[in-house]
This record gives sequence, structure tokens and C-alpha cells, in this order.
Amino acid sequence: MNSDDTISTDVLIVGAGPAGLSSAIHLADEFQKSGQNRRIMVIEKGNAVGAHILSGAILKTDALKELLSEEEYTNLPFDCEVSSDKTLKLSATGAFALPFHPPVMDNMGNKITSLCQICRYLATLAEARGVEVYAGFAVNEILYENDKVIGVKTIDTGVNYQGEKQKNYQKGTSVLARIVILAEGTRGTLAKQLKSKFDLRKDALPQVYSLGIKELWSVPEGNIKEGAVYHTFGYPLDANEEFGGGFVYGLKDNKVALGFAVGLDYADPSFDTHAAMQVWKQHPSIAKFLKDGTLIEFGAKTIPEGGWNSMPKPYTDNVLIVGDSAGMVAMPALKGVHLAVTAGMCAAKAVSKALLNDDTSEKSLSYYKELIDQSRIYSEMYPYRNFRAVMTQGLYVGGLKFGIQLLTNGACLFTPKLEHDNVASKKVSEYTGVPFKKRFEDKLTFDKKLTFDKVTSVFYSGTHHDEEQPIHLHVNDIEDFSEVNIKQYGTSCQYFCPADVYEAHIDKEGKRSLKIHAENCVHCKTCDIKAPNSAITWMTPYGGDGPQYQNL
Amino acid sequence: MTTIISLMKQVPLPSQMRMGEDGLMDRTKAKSIINVDCSFALEAGLQLKSMMKGAKLIVCSMGPPSFEQSLKTAISMGYDEAYLLSDRRLGGSDTFTTGFALSRMLKHLGFGKGLNEDFIVVAGRQTSDGDTAHVPSQVAENLGIPQATFLENVEFKNSTIIARRIIEGGYQMLKLPIPCTLSFTPTGIPPRRPTLSGAVKARNTQVTVFNTDDIHLEDSQIGLLGSPTIVAKVSSIRSERAPIIMSQGHSGEELVKDLMKNMKSGKNSLEAISKKEAKKVEMPSDSEKVDFRNGASGILTWAEVANGKLSRPSLELLTPAVNLAHSLEEGTKVRTLLIGSNVQELAKELIYHGSDEVIIVDDARLQEYRILLFSSIFAQVIKAYKPEIALFAATTAGRELAPRIGVKTKSGVTADCTALEIGEHRDNKKKIVYAPILESRRPTYGESKLATIIGFVCPQISTARAGTFEVPKRDEEKEGLITPFTPELNEQDFVTEILETHRGEGGLSSLFEADVIVTGGRGALSDDMILIKELASALNTQGVKCEWASSRPVVDLGVCEYARQIGQTGKTVRPKVYIAVGVSGAIQHIVGMKESESIIAINKNAKESIFANADFGIVGEYEDILPALIKEVKNGFVFGLDKDK
Ligand SMILES: Cc1cc2nc3c(=O)[nH]c(=O)nc-3n(C[C@H](O)[C@H](O)[C@H](O)COP(=O)(O)OP(=O)(O)OC[C@H]3O[C@@H](n4cnc5c(N)ncnc54)[C@H](O)[C@@H]3O)c2cc1C
Ligand code: SF4
Repeated sequence: MNSDDTISTDVLIVGAGPAGLSSAIHLADEFQKSGQNRRIMVIEKGNAVGAHILSGAILKTDALKELLSEEEYTNLPFDCEVSSDKTLKLSATGAFALPFHPPVMDNMGNKITSLCQICRYLATLAEARGVEVYAGFAVNEILYENDKVIGVKTIDTGVNYQGEKQKNYQKGTSVLARIVILAEGTRGTLAKQLKSKFDLRKDALPQVYSLGIKELWSVPEGNIKEGAVYHTFGYPLDANEEFGGGFVYGLKDNKVALGFAVGLDYADPSFDTHAAMQVWKQHPSIAKFLKDGTLIEFGAKTIPEGGWNSMPKPYTDNVLIVGDSAGMVAMPALKGVHLAVTAGMCAAKAVSKALLNDDTSEKSLSYYKELIDQSRIYSEMYPYRNFRAVMTQGLYVGGLKFGIQLLTNGACLFTPKLEHDNVASKKVSEYTGVPFKKRFEDKLTFDKKLTFDKVTSVFYSGTHHDEEQPIHLHVNDIEDFSEVNIKQYGTSCQYFCPADVYEAHIDKEGKRSLKIHAENCVHCKTCDIKAPNSAITWMTPYGGDGPQYQNL
Repeated sequence: MTTIISLMKQVPLPSQMRMGEDGLMDRTKAKSIINVDCSFALEAGLQLKSMMKGAKLIVCSMGPPSFEQSLKTAISMGYDEAYLLSDRRLGGSDTFTTGFALSRMLKHLGFGKGLNEDFIVVAGRQTSDGDTAHVPSQVAENLGIPQATFLENVEFKNSTIIARRIIEGGYQMLKLPIPCTLSFTPTGIPPRRPTLSGAVKARNTQVTVFNTDDIHLEDSQIGLLGSPTIVAKVSSIRSERAPIIMSQGHSGEELVKDLMKNMKSGKNSLEAISKKEAKKVEMPSDSEKVDFRNGASGILTWAEVANGKLSRPSLELLTPAVNLAHSLEEGTKVRTLLIGSNVQELAKELIYHGSDEVIIVDDARLQEYRILLFSSIFAQVIKAYKPEIALFAATTAGRELAPRIGVKTKSGVTADCTALEIGEHRDNKKKIVYAPILESRRPTYGESKLATIIGFVCPQISTARAGTFEVPKRDEEKEGLITPFTPELNEQDFVTEILETHRGEGGLSSLFEADVIVTGGRGALSDDMILIKELASALNTQGVKCEWASSRPVVDLGVCEYARQIGQTGKTVRPKVYIAVGVSGAIQHIVGMKESESIIAINKNAKESIFANADFGIVGEYEDILPALIKEVKNGFVFGLDKDK
């Protein structure tokens, strides 16, 4: 197209997850209420809305009720309502059901859903309000003028592996916007750039993440009840080494959603969350739900779980950050959808007011933070602000301290610290525990019926990337990588990546190097978080590439 | 200003295509995409525009309203206008009526009135849910304009089109005038990604939707009623693999010897699944037998000449031709049309291989195949001889020639058949039995189903998949007629020039034509694939068409170019023999090669999943096995294939 490919809009929202779509929907409503006739654009990198969305998901529905009209709310594609809720403590062979669980973890009355489906539905509601939703377009670059955000630019396409323009080269489109809302979800690429440019994390603790892996199964009648919810902790995780657990949700039509999430602050450089989930599935208490069933879908995504204290300042001149990109996830329940929706609504109110007053400055947008502080984001996150930090001390010590916090509205006897997940990794030579492979030696051959190797899993994520494009996973310094990540950490990326993107290649002379199979990437962002030395930067590939989640 | 018209179809994502219980395709569940070949045509249109001083780009499609989505994608890629022909009454259309209806839409838009117009039609070679490659040819004939199909790349130079056409084992450079129709293979310039500004434009662009009344199509011309062919039945083909036969032995030599022995005794086969016997419907006793041939009689085949020799597929074609003649009335003749320059000698060969009469058109100007001339000659021969059946080998030439002729004779065409038989068709409603009728069977939907297609207009035309039928035994005693034929040649049919024909090292398409593919995986890398290439070249020296390829990791490592990658994101191939060396058998790889006739796996790890997807297996280091195998090949072992050349 022409060399100067520029379009403009009043509001640009990056990311069509619950946060972005709620922003769009509520903004359209606010504009209408205040008589403003304005353009709202949403850009989504998945090739359709929902294609890159993955969640549990047990939904607290209050926020959606506020966002939508009654009729719209009743038409939400919920799968079913939670009918029973159990927490199991697994040992290597047995299971023990907790007689009760902390009230914050109670799910009775909540809905089980596929967030992919919810987002597809929300997108139609946004469109019906005149919002323009464009799926299949990715942005990597924020545009600035006088050090203020003025828009974003979509990726150039038709560039080969070596970065040379091809005959089908297309320059990306610059989108100028009076306000940009970043709703990219976990570890947002633009949000990361923005936070560092404006030092938005200045007053926050480091963000920490879990990697969650999810599978959707079809099982014979009778394996599990519709609406049955199980959360597990314990096996195969070691309470002193890893923080995390699994979930199994019975859906309608004999489908089962199951997942396994592990905090990325583990020390073992060979720990492998994907493999851990396969081990977990072999536990009799889990395997029984899947007996004679078939895998339908697979996906993985990280969850920011640092809580209140890890949230960045979510705004600056002309730009706001909402949802996971701003770390808005309620711990310990691991629920982010309703907070993403709430954040979107707060952002919409602030933006509408700012545009009405023709003032999009940081000062004007600080109203957004005020609204957050009065919302459930505050009331659900603040009391548990120290939860994740104490949990780094292991489940038992941490659990005890968390118990105390519950009594003291979250105050801690001392302020615990969080460190970045990649700092938590130990060098191979310094790690004193039993390496992952040793721990589960006899459980790591996968039968492709109950358990799967990574490449087969990736097949079930529908992931596809155009091979003619520059690699979207940047190794920041190859030499350094070889020295530190390969030699000292045993190429830990080959283990933490759930999609077999990284291969520790050994050539004829026995020299080790890293090979990147970028086509496998399911966009979970673990490498961007966990690679020692922050050695890998995740960038968005061509828009439309990546997984093709249908019902995760 | 030139108008570039792109014909485009939306198809279900091939990997998500499923069949309903009724044998019809269930399109509702699969995600829709622009047919891959069509997306290459869209790009070709955009490339052509960039070589011209201004051109208008329009995109046309025929199908349900949901096709608008893909038409909009074309707009976001840079197209200016979009048109959709959508009408329930078009349901059941075969390729003949589809070609007709699309042409009618183009005429309605003002194109196809004469040869002095300034437009180019670009289209995909074929669709993934139909696989026929007919429509571009049919549109060209309906519009009365020249065509070139199976193109990789085109250029616009001095007001003409220079096109690179893929042919068996090579390519041909063609020069075409404007207007013309061009169809593209998915091997040229990949389709560009839409830009966001393009998507914004597409959002604001209306797709113009026509119904059949708008473009003056009558019910008798469309849908089931207008279609000369119908799908008579569909049955399942089981594509699971039977258990593998592993080689025994203590050394490379022993293992290879055992493999040879095993291959000789044949692979395991699955027990035939007992197919539900179709309920025999009793015909009403008063039903009437109709012979719709109207005096047409005999079978006409085409003898394709390449490099001065008869192409092997056109000799193969004589096998079903003779069999069909035997199933028809006494005295039914097999005639073969032979067009070329100095081809007298070849005529005798055809007779030795089973033809009763060779109709010869010998003209110095007809040395190389050219569609306009050949289709016109065919039409004249058909008029003179009135055959009831006409057969073509499904080569790149046969696949474009047959449909173009079919439009002239108003017959439909069945593409790429693997079985041809004479049968009857019962119409219980009308109480009519049509007999005798040609039953053409062809695999569809990614080889998972076998469809039987019949037509009611003579000649009944089919193309036969190369390599499915044996070459008949040569018999020098056999006698037959050689009859010269002098067609009327129209100067206008000489407009397309052949600039260059290149056969030999066969471009990107050779993977599709190879009889043997040797693939190296991650486990065959320690010698940079030297042994793999050696095995391939040893087979080629033995006269077997062989290519080497790789799995994705090898491409990622830069040892092999992407064009040779087999699998989900690479090519899907179905050679007679597929040899996987050091390939793990990831599901992404398997989907690209599982339709191969025989699969041999060589891997040092007996647990790899490749062994679950192969017919013959050797567990061992490939560095030991391949040298032994190469030695045997050099001594003449060619995996039981025919040596040909
Ligand atoms: C395994 C797992 C289980 C969970 N379970 C629950 C649960 O039971 N209940 C609950 O409430 N929450 C749960 N969560 C958390 C919840 O899913 C998230 O908090 C929520 O989805 C966040 O919404 P979001 O809109 O901020 O981000 P996302 O849902 O991640 O959406 C972001 C969107 O932006 C797009 N995008 C990102 N970057 C770009 C870019 N540069 N350009 C264009 N587009 C871009 C992405 O493709 C994506 O579609 C779970 C999470 C996981 C991983
Ligand atoms: S490469 Fe990174 S983002 Fe992609 S799947 Fe692996 S860890 Fe996740």
C-alpha cells in the first residue's frame, strides 16, 4: 500500500480479552450517555477474537452484570453453574479432601465458562455499539511524540527470516489515537515497553507469574458431573519447592476442563510445568476423570499473581493499562476476569471524562486510579496483598502466615519481599534439590492417550506461524546466552517452555547451541519472564499467527 | 485501464474437514479460509497490478453469504471491489455449471464480449474441497479467451503476460495476450497479509451480491438441473495403517536384506471393513430403460506427447479404455487421438498397447501441446466420431484440456479418477434406468472418501490419475487403423506462444510427482544429509523418480530449504514409497505424508511414533543402514517400483 499508511481514531484498545472488550463496551455506553460521537478501535493479534484467550474459567459474574444490559447478560454463553466444589490434597498415591476451604476460595454459585466463547460474544456486543474490532493484527511498537504516546504501529509483514523485504511486503499501519488503552493480557509487549519508559513500576514490587496449562477433554458419560469443581495441591509439586496446583472442572456434554498452574519462582532450572501436568494426570484421582476420553484442545498462558503490591501505576499521559497487563488478578483465588471487566469499566469512565474535558493528560487520567481504588479491584486485592509473597516461603510456612493475614486484613508482621521469577532460578551447579527429571524418572514417557509430549500438545492448540518472518523470540545477547543460559542454567528454556520452542542443540563436536522453533509458540510469555538474565524478549509475530483456541 | 478479476472460493480449513454421517461434507464445524490456491491467485493479481500503470482489482465468488468474509479479506489485501453470486438455487452445481454461472456473472459485469477487451482473470489452480482444477478452464472457454493454468509466477511485459507454467518434471514459459485466464499453484509468491488500513477499508466496502435472476440464469442452467454430472454415491476409504513389519538382523546389510524380503512379500493390510451393503431397492417393474447415448459410441483417449515420446500416463489410460470397451457392446472401439509433429511411429505404439484406431493430426505447428489448438481439434474429432466416452490422463495438460473440451461438448468432467467402470443409474422417481453409463470413481475430501460420479451427456469425460492403472502389455501382433485427420485450424488459436519448455530438474513441483521421497529428520543430521541425498540420487540413476525432503527441525536448522519441508506447515505428499530416516513421527509431520502408499521408517529409537505410522521399519543407526541400502539400490533394488524414463 502507500508508504504513509496512517489512520486515526479517538480511542485505540490493544487486545480483545475481557479487559479490552469491557473497556470498549463501556466506553461506547459512556460516550452515548455524554453525547460524544467518537471512534473506538480494538486490535487483536489472534486471527479471531478468542483465539488467544485461555482461562479456567470460573467466573464471578458480578462485574459482567454491571457491564451488560439484562438481556445481554442472560445471553452470555456460560457453560454451567458450579454444583460442587472440592479441594484435594494429593500425595503420590492418595488424595485427601479438605473438609472446608477458605471463604475467598469458595466457588459455589459461580459460573464455569470458556473465556474464548465469552470474548467472542462480548466482541459482537461491542460491534453492535459501533466499536470496530479488528482481529489478526499485531502491534509491537508504540508511537511517541514529545515523549508522549500518540498511537501504535502494526507489524510490517512480508519480511523473511533474515529480515529482508519480500515481494508481498506490506508496511504496517500507524494508528494515531488520542487515547490508547493497553489490554494485552499477561506480560503485555507494549505495556512492558511503556512501564520501563515511564518507570511505572517505580513504587511496585516485582511482578511474579504462574504458568497455567490447560486441556479440554471429551470423556465418556459418567466420568464427572456437570458443574463439579476440584482444585488440587500437593503432588506432584513439592511444597517446599514449587507453589501451584491443578483444577478439574466438569462441563456440560461430557467435556472436562483441566489445568495445572505452577508459580514461576521455582529454583530448579530443569523444572518443566508441561511435564509436571502430565505426571499430575497420571495420579489416580485425576486419571479417573479422563479414562477413555480424548484430548480436544491444549493451551498455555501465564498469570500475573503478585497481587496488589506488584501492580504498576496503570496510566500516564494519553494511555491506560487494564486487566492482566496491569497485574489485576485476585489471589489466592487466581481470578482475573471479573477484575479485568471492572478495570475496563473504570478506564472507560476515566477516558470518557477526559475526552469530554479535552484533557488526556496524566493528571486527568489519574481519575482511573481513583476509580480502581473504590472498586472491587481494591476490595478484593488489597487484603491479600501479601499473600503471594509469603507463599514464596513454601506452602506450610506461607500458609500459616497467610492465615494470620486473613485475620489482620492482609497486614503482615513484616513486609515480605518478592523477587523476579527469573532471579529465583538457580544454576545447575547450585541447585541442591533433586532435579525434575530424577524426581519423576518413571513417569516421563507419554502414551499419547492420557499424557502427551509437548509437540503433540502444540498440535492440539492449533498453533500456526508463517515461517517466512523474522523470529519473534529475541535472544538479546547470543554470546551471553551461551555463557549464562546454556552453560550455567543448562538451557532451562527447553524445560520451562511448554511448547518445545527451544531446543538445546548439540552438534557433531559436542558444542551446545540454542535452536528456536518459533512456529510452536503458544504465546504464553513464560520465556520473557523466566529466562535467566532476562535473556529472551517475546515480541508479537505476524497478526493472526499463534494458537487457535476454540473453547479454552 | 486493465481490470484484474480474481475468482476466489472459501473452503473449510482442510485439517478440520469432517464428513457427516450422510456422506456429505459437514461444513458447519470447520473454520473457513480462503482456498489456498485462490489466495496465491489474489496475490498474483496484486503483483500484476504493481507491474501495470493502474489497474482495477475485483474479486468474484460464488457461494453462500458467509463467503463475504473472505471477499472482505481480499479487499483488505488491496482489492477494489467484491462480487458474490449467492442463491440457494445454485446448490448442487457441478463444476460445469459453476464455470458457467461464474462466466455469466463476469459477462453481467461487462466482460467477455470480445477479444479486444482489457481484462485478466486470475484464479486458484484448484480448491481443497473439490480438487478438480476445472473451473478456470471452463470460465476461459465460456468467455472464449486464452488460458494458462498451473502457473507459478507471471509478469506483465509489453502488454502481454509472461507466465511460468508447471508441467511434469519441469516448466514452460508462455506468452499470452490479454484478455486471458490464469490459474495459480500455491508455489509462487505467498499471499500478502492484509494491512490494518486495508481492513478498515474492507469494513466500509459493500460486497455486491447477485442472485441468479440478477444475472439472468435460468433454473435449467444451474444447480442439479443444469449439471451434466452428479455424485451417485460416496463411500468411505479406511486410511488407518496396518501394523508395521520390522526388519530383523544384526548389521546394516542384514537389516536391509530383510527389508527387501519383507517388501517383496508385501505390507500388512487391515481387514477390509465390512461395508454396509447398500439396500437393494427393487425397481418398479414398469421402469423404462433409457440409453441416453443417442448413437454415440466408442471410447476416445488422448495420447499426450512430451519430448517426442508418448507420456506414460496416456499409455496407462488404454487399460481402462480397453476394459470399458469390453464391458460395452461388441465392437465398441477404442480410438486414440494423437496430435503432434512427425508422430507416425508413435501411432503404432498406441496400437500395440491396445488402441483400435489412432486418429492422427500431424502438423509441424503442433509439436508442443497448446490448449486452444488442442481443444479445438478435439471438438472437431468428437463431432466427427461421436464417442460416448472421452478419457484423458490427469496430467497438467489433461486436467486443463478435458474441462475446456467439456464446455464445448456441454458435458461435465470427472477429475482424477482411480476407477472407471460401466454401470447403470436408477432414477426411482422417474422410473428410469439409465444404462449403460460410465461410473467414474475418485477419492475426495483428503482421500477419505470415494465418490462415484456419473454424467448424462456424451461424450462422458473423465481424467484418470496418473500411476493408478498399469501400462497394458505391448503386443506387436496387434493391428489397428491409423487414420489421418485434418482439422480446421483457426489463426486466433495460435495467440499463445511457448517461449521455452524445460523438462528435467523439476522445480518445486517435483516433490508432488516423485515416486519415492527420502526424508531426513532431526535424527539424520550428523552428516548434513549427505547419505539421504545419495540414496535419492542412486534411485534416480536407477530410473526411479525420487526426491529428498526433510522434517521441520531440519529446515529450522538451515540444513534444508523450506520448499522441501513435509508436514502440516510444509507440503502434503503421497508418493508410492516414503522413506523416513531419523524422523520422530510428530503428528505435524505425519499429516503431511500419511497418504503415501508404502512408508518405510528408519530410526534408532524403537519407541518413536514414526513406527506406528509406517509399513516397514528398521531400528538402527542410519549411518549403518543407508550405505547398505544405497549399495542394494545400485545393484538394482528399487523398492518394487517400475524403472521408467
Ligand atoms: C490457566 C488459567 C486459569 C485461570 N482461571 C481463571 C478463573 O477461573 N477465573 C478467573 O476469573 N480468571 C482466571 N484466570 C485469569 C484470567 O484468565 C485473566 O485474568 C483474564 O483473562 C485477563 O483478561 P485480559 O483481558 O487482561 O487479558 P487476556 O485475556 O489475556 O486478553 C488479552 C488479549 O490481548 C491480545 N494481545 C496481547 N498483546 C497484543 C498485541 N501486542 N497486539 C494485539 N493484541 C494483543 C491477546 O491476544 C489477547 O486476546 C486464569 C488464567 C489462566 C492462565
Ligand atoms: S516460546 Fe515463550 S511464549 Fe512461546 S510457548 Fe515457549 S515459553 Fe511460551
